[in-house]
Amino acid sequence: MRLIIKDNGDVASAYAANYIIERIKKLSPTQQRPFVLGLPTGSSPLGVYRILVEKYKAGEISFENVVTFNMDEYVDIPRDHEGSYHSFMWKHFFSHVNIHPANVNILDGNATDLEAECVAYEAKIKAAGGIDLFLAGIGEDGHIAFNEPGSSLASRTRVKTLAYDTIVANSRFFGNDFDLVPKMALTVGVQTVLDAREVVVIALGPRKALAVQRCVEQGVNHMWTLSALQLHPRSMIICDEDATLELQVRTAKYYKDIERVAQSQGFEQVFPSKILTGFPPQSIQASIVVDETQSPSVSSPQSTTSYLLRASPATEYSTISRSPSPDFTPDRMGSRIGDPAFTRRLTPAPERQELQDRSKTLLPALALATSVNSVNA
Amino acid sequence: MPSVITSPTSKTGISKLTNCRIAGGDALIWKDIWVSSITGKILQSQTAFYDELITPDEVIDLGGRIVSPGFIDCQLNGAFGFNFSTLLDDMPQYGKQLQDVNKKLVETGVTSYLPTVTSQTGQLYQAVLPYLGPSGASRLASAGSESLGAHVEGPFISPTKHGIHDVSVLHNPSTYSDLEHVYGKSNINPGSPGSGPIPVKMITLAPELSQAVPSVIIPQLRSSGIVVSIGHSEATYEQASSAVSAGASMITHLFNAMRPLHHRNPGIFGVLGSAGRAERPYFGVIADGIHLHPTTVKIAWNAHPGGFILVTDAMHTMGLEDGRYEWRNGGGKDWIIKTGGEVVLEATGGIAGSAVSLIECVNNFLEWSGASVPEALKAVTGTPAAMLGLKGVKGCLDAGADADLVVLRDEVVDGGVVRLGVDEVWKFGKKVYEKGV
Repeated sequence: MRLIIKDNGDVASAYAANYIIERIKKLSPTQQRPFVLGLPTGSSPLGVYRILVEKYKAGEISFENVVTFNMDEYVDIPRDHEGSYHSFMWKHFFSHVNIHPANVNILDGNATDLEAECVAYEAKIKAAGGIDLFLAGIGEDGHIAFNEPGSSLASRTRVKTLAYDTIVANSRFFGNDFDLVPKMALTVGVQTVLDAREVVVIALGPRKALAVQRCVEQGVNHMWTLSALQLHPRSMIICDEDATLELQVRTAKYYKDIERVAQSQGFEQVFPSKILTGFPPQSIQASIVVDETQSPSVSSPQSTTSYLLRASPATEYSTISRSPSPDFTPDRMGSRIGDPAFTRRLTPAPERQELQDRSKTLLPALALATSVNSVNA
Repeated sequence: MPSVITSPTSKTGISKLTNCRIAGGDALIWKDIWVSSITGKILQSQTAFYDELITPDEVIDLGGRIVSPGFIDCQLNGAFGFNFSTLLDDMPQYGKQLQDVNKKLVETGVTSYLPTVTSQTGQLYQAVLPYLGPSGASRLASAGSESLGAHVEGPFISPTKHGIHDVSVLHNPSTYSDLEHVYGKSNINPGSPGSGPIPVKMITLAPELSQAVPSVIIPQLRSSGIVVSIGHSEATYEQASSAVSAGASMITHLFNAMRPLHHRNPGIFGVLGSAGRAERPYFGVIADGIHLHPTTVKIAWNAHPGGFILVTDAMHTMGLEDGRYEWRNGGGKDWIIKTGGEVVLEATGGIAGSAVSLIECVNNFLEWSGASVPEALKAVTGTPAAMLGLKGVKGCLDAGADADLVVLRDEVVDGGVVRLGVDEVWKFGKKVYEKGV
């Protein structure tokens, strides 16, 4: 995982926006092979959208052949309600750029069959050839999309109940009225995000600092679902200084140094072209099969960790040749020290210990004497 | 600079105006507007995008200019040489001349208006009113400015506050049928369902003329959907108040042709402070710099900003060269002299309407009052629309409203005063005028 630390939110947002633009340009998308972009809502990505719009208006980027998939949407809120994510996306992004409405995908929180809507959404992503780049934000509790703490890291698009903290945080979009905030949402799963060929997270402000710390410095943990990114071969968190407040100075310095060195060397992470360009999209008609009897999250509990650790680096980095690790041969530490005094086994022989345990139950004092003797033996 | 980016998709008839500040509410806000030339309305763009999957045919960058709803003039006696109070031997010719006026008028930013007929004989009213009724049903952008119905200013007005109206044609109404007799029944009474709107939209009368006015006539007109405006009147505060309580909702050119404010009887002006239990009425103000002192305009606005409507009261000399022009007035003919924005009756030297355009009134008002641009624009858009019962249809930029727009350039002149200029005019979702093109 890369961690890009910028001086402030504006610089961080500009970095993220430019990164996305560069990715789109590099692919030079066509109608047949569009760039598939995953998109978030919330306050952190606002700056990114603003700059993307500016760059579009300046003629630096076109979204004509960009297909978008949004992460989530509330359940049971009128689609054009100002708090809906449809409205958010329209207001901050879609209304300003040349994206075609047919290329825009957002979960329908008013679908009669929410489960089927989720299954169809996964199928649509697949039909579009998978997501090239998923832009994401991060919740204060480390959630990615609406994958609240405790969400399965192997989860896929599904209906979720919102955590209390999230409802409170989002009430600012509903006139600070707690009761008006929808309590359920449809969201892509952690695994849906991890399936993207690239994940870029934008985290701004001191309130995100703890989440960044948990996801960068601590282990993979379902209580901080964004930490699953550690298993992604090509992920990046872009943050401002404030969002690093909880990190160890050493960690922040380390990541800054890496970027500095990389920049001075003109080094950009090089990925095999297959990862960047993905696979041709399948025909949409053929692939949307809504199987209502099978919930995707239940039917595909394939282990995330094993899939990622095995598949990604080992097979996809074929251009980088590494010698395979030698087979494991157990040996004794003592044997590595030249001194002959250590060549004999210092720990009790197993068979003796067994004997010892048996005698311990009979006579503890004797057992103690035996053990002392055995050391001397 | 403004540019047009044309999208290659099939024709949807939709134009997106972008990079503009819109003046629909209390502040200028940066917002795009989508208009459809097919429905002639402002689109709910988000719904169009998500539901109908449509994108605009053209995106028009307005370079930061202001978009206002089209202007509404509630008192216009004629323009570009054509006087609405005119009897022609060949009346169909009247309709043609009216169409010419509409096409020219729209270029001043006035996208809809009330053609106003002064105190005249019944014969003239009955001949011209059928031409002056609401003309928007065809929704033809090329027809230019749209009549929202006629404004008949008289002849039921006070003989002592007649202004330049011909006293010999004035009447005292004792019953409602007196009005029917003068205007013609079909011009003020709703017809059978489906027969179309009635030609008259507003009547200026003096409420003190008879007891029947507040008790019978005003309620009867209200029930037909006609706006009753107090004007050319000697009404006291009490008489004006009871007229408002009876349903009068407008005052015609406040301060002109009425008693001035007296501290012990504030007269008609007094209802701007309070009209008893009734809501305070709307009022028209002529901000041409001649009819009223600038401070008087400011006082009126401060008294009741929500009712403040700018009107031109322009004569047919509006848009013509300075000079001496014939004017049909009631029973006979008079001559009026136009000098710049000033129009006087040759015989008496009395003020005879104005020759200003509505945008000039807006600019004067901006200069005199210190009002903000959206507040000033409201006086020629949202407020008159509300007065005419057309809220949400005219005078606003909400989705579903008619796509009548004015694109304004603004420049700050001496003293930090903002001056507006009409750059483009859109009618029913189509651009009908562009400055210099």
